[in-house]
Amino acid sequence: MQLVMKRRVTASAILFLLVAAACGDSASAPGKPDTTGTTIDTTGLRSAACPAINLGPKPAVLSLAQSNPATLQVLGSGSETARYTAEIAVRAPVAYTTTWGFRSATGNKVDIWDVSGNTPTLVDSLIVSGASTLGDVAVSDDGKLLVVATERTGGSIVIYDLGDPKHPKLLARFNNADTDPGVHTAEIGRVNGKLYGFLSIDPIGSTPARIVIVDLSTPEAPREVFTKVTGNPFVHDTFIRDGLLFVALWDNGMEIWDVGGCGTGASPEAPRVLGGVKTLNGEVHNIWWYHDPNGSKRFAFVGEEGPGTIGSSSRGDIHVVDISDPTAPKEVAFYRVTGAGTHNFSVDETNGVLYAAYYNGGVRAIDIRGDLGTCPANQQIIDGATNLARCDLRLMGRELGVGLIELNRGVYVWGVQYLDGTVYASDMVNGIWKLKAVR
Amino acid sequence: MAQAIPLVTRADPTATHGALTEGYLTQPLVMAHASWRSLRGVSTLNFEGLTLDRGELATGGYGEGYVDRRHPHAYVHELLVGAESNGGGLRGSLFAGRGFAPFGSDDPMVRPFEKYPVNHHLSQVLERVVAVGALRYGPVIAELGTFNGDEPTGPGASPNFDRFGDSWSSRLTLLPITGGEISASYASVTSPEVRAGHGLDQRKGSVVARFSRETPTSSHYALLEWARTDERDNGTLTTSLTSLLGETAFCARGVILGARLERTDRPEEERLLDPFRTPRPSSDLANLGVSRWTTITASISAPSVRAGVASARPFVEVARIGVAPGNPPGIFNPELRYGTRRMWMYSAGIRLRAGSMHDRMGRYGVAMPDVTMSGMGTRLPDRESDTMPSMPDMSSGKGAPMSHQMSKSQCSL
Repeated sequence: MQLVMKRRVTASAILFLLVAAACGDSASAPGKPDTTGTTIDTTGLRSAACPAINLGPKPAVLSLAQSNPATLQVLGSGSETARYTAEIAVRAPVAYTTTWGFRSATGNKVDIWDVSGNTPTLVDSLIVSGASTLGDVAVSDDGKLLVVATERTGGSIVIYDLGDPKHPKLLARFNNADTDPGVHTAEIGRVNGKLYGFLSIDPIGSTPARIVIVDLSTPEAPREVFTKVTGNPFVHDTFIRDGLLFVALWDNGMEIWDVGGCGTGASPEAPRVLGGVKTLNGEVHNIWWYHDPNGSKRFAFVGEEGPGTIGSSSRGDIHVVDISDPTAPKEVAFYRVTGAGTHNFSVDETNGVLYAAYYNGGVRAIDIRGDLGTCPANQQIIDGATNLARCDLRLMGRELGVGLIELNRGVYVWGVQYLDGTVYASDMVNGIWKLKAVR
Repeated sequence: MAQAIPLVTRADPTATHGALTEGYLTQPLVMAHASWRSLRGVSTLNFEGLTLDRGELATGGYGEGYVDRRHPHAYVHELLVGAESNGGGLRGSLFAGRGFAPFGSDDPMVRPFEKYPVNHHLSQVLERVVAVGALRYGPVIAELGTFNGDEPTGPGASPNFDRFGDSWSSRLTLLPITGGEISASYASVTSPEVRAGHGLDQRKGSVVARFSRETPTSSHYALLEWARTDERDNGTLTTSLTSLLGETAFCARGVILGARLERTDRPEEERLLDPFRTPRPSSDLANLGVSRWTTITASISAPSVRAGVASARPFVEVARIGVAPGNPPGIFNPELRYGTRRMWMYSAGIRLRAGSMHDRMGRYGVAMPDVTMSGMGTRLPDRESDTMPSMPDMSSGKGAPMSHQMSKSQCSL
């Protein structure tokens, strides 16, 4: 077993060397001092609490000059003005956008766009009965299933067959007492080869929020396998990868659950909480666990959804959490846009760029390569209340691009998805945008 | 005392874009109060949970998961016990139980209009587990209360007792002339709309000037109110809501004429498939913007028909309602929501009562001004009293445990 691990580490190190050399950027070669003198740790990192997950080498410290962010080029847009647009999921050449609340019509529609050209073209739509909001949408990794979350009329997930991606067919609808009053988000992902849905359920009255895990291996017959009351007071989203479930627990911060990735017997049917962190200001809404091309998996990005007025204002930072010890994650950096707050993320992991929906702040592109938790004092901000020192990604020269603001037409961007050099954005006010990625 | 109001309301248009005409039994309640030596008891049981589950049409109104409808109140609207000291120039009282925090103006239920104003949730803090202390010296009344911040989640829902003490309010009242009072209030309310806590907090302010006077055959009443609620997240201001309201009523020979003008900000929220309902709690801390409601209401009530302790007073109310985007407007668009910016609301009903009603609702012990009300006027000392046995004469101005309505007055509501 030790031999196998060593071989994996050696292979990772070789891969890291090759990628770093190929990049030829300011990422330093492992094992040698980088431009700031930091030595890169080439050994993989495993936690005793989660031995099967290799968090990879410590990423290089980059020294970047601060510069004005570029404007993300708009390639085209598709208009939705009868309803407010919500989340987006793209599997080329089709994009699916959900709708929210009430505009001149109820948010019970999924718009289906052909995005093969620069201008998204509406090719079909789905109407989901018994829903006032469709807050989330996801496509399975094999492209076979579309899963839509419904809110506030009992709550459910609706599963469609994507045999014809432009014209999905209803397969099943799953709801029970645990999905009441609404499924805020439904993330889907595989654990040990089996497809699951991870549902974040709204609270109502004195009934608290909860997580529900659904076995989707037989999509015609979804089956609840686990539920847990959690979140304070909301649980808004999850992120599933490699058998770890990252759970956004609002003012209780972020938790990491082992749902089968650690090799210690946990599963989606019997998750185990590894650890958690309460990020500054709480209001933890969404998470992305970043795997960089060098094999480092040390950082998770946490979206804070502060209060706002839809269409006018928003608030909330991106928090960078170092999960080198998944039993005790710690916040090490942040990114703030004055006058706007973040919502959902998508990451171009090959190029190390995080794209964030920023509501009235449009779309933001942030360089997340290297070690985000190490920075000189003049790039740090110390929180007065907690004395926590965090690197400011803006001061670190990490702000790469801004999108849609230059149009000056009022946007409120809910979601983004990066795919093959293109960033797709769902805008509550206008519909769907297609932008050129910064790298 | 018992009360119920059979009511028909037509709202045109509503959030459905069409007109609705509905009938209810609204404000069905039983009030009782008792005293023994220095001890006092106050109770109001409200049965709207049984008769108003869908809410009462009230265009512009909002709160507790209802919008453009008034929500049913908790079955236990008030249930408090307390004690008063009667000696000397400085008097004090301490009450505890479920009821009103010392803040703002009287509950609309004891004011001359059947329809609640839009500002109900800006101008009163009620149905909390409260402890209220009051001191009075001459024409000055000071109150301080602590309570749980969470609003009721339903008529039968219990308060979150764990949160008792997370919120507080205070009110200072001056009584410069007979029948006149000026009060200023401040409240810090923690997470009223999320029962578990961690929702937006509120800082509330209110200034109220009130005048009422009554003769055996007539009465005058007027109220001018400014209220503001700042919603805060981790101490940072997120939304400000302001209300300005003036209302007056005049009664002669049993006929009551009333008028109210109000301009109030309302936070707009995501609605359910039922356009008159919003999720409680909401899914997050955002809103859709602020709307600004300007409402002119006129009412006329015919003289009461009496039989023993029972009375029946028919009334009609008409309201002209205007709505516009507030600050910030967000995505609120009145044309999309209602199809118009101007609406009407017509109501007709009969106020049925038996026994004596609390004249003022929202004050306890020595915080009750030394005016004996008859619905809306200050009773003159020479008029007939129907003070309950064992109750001190409230016109004396001392030791009055609870001002209550004279059901035999021509100008009783």
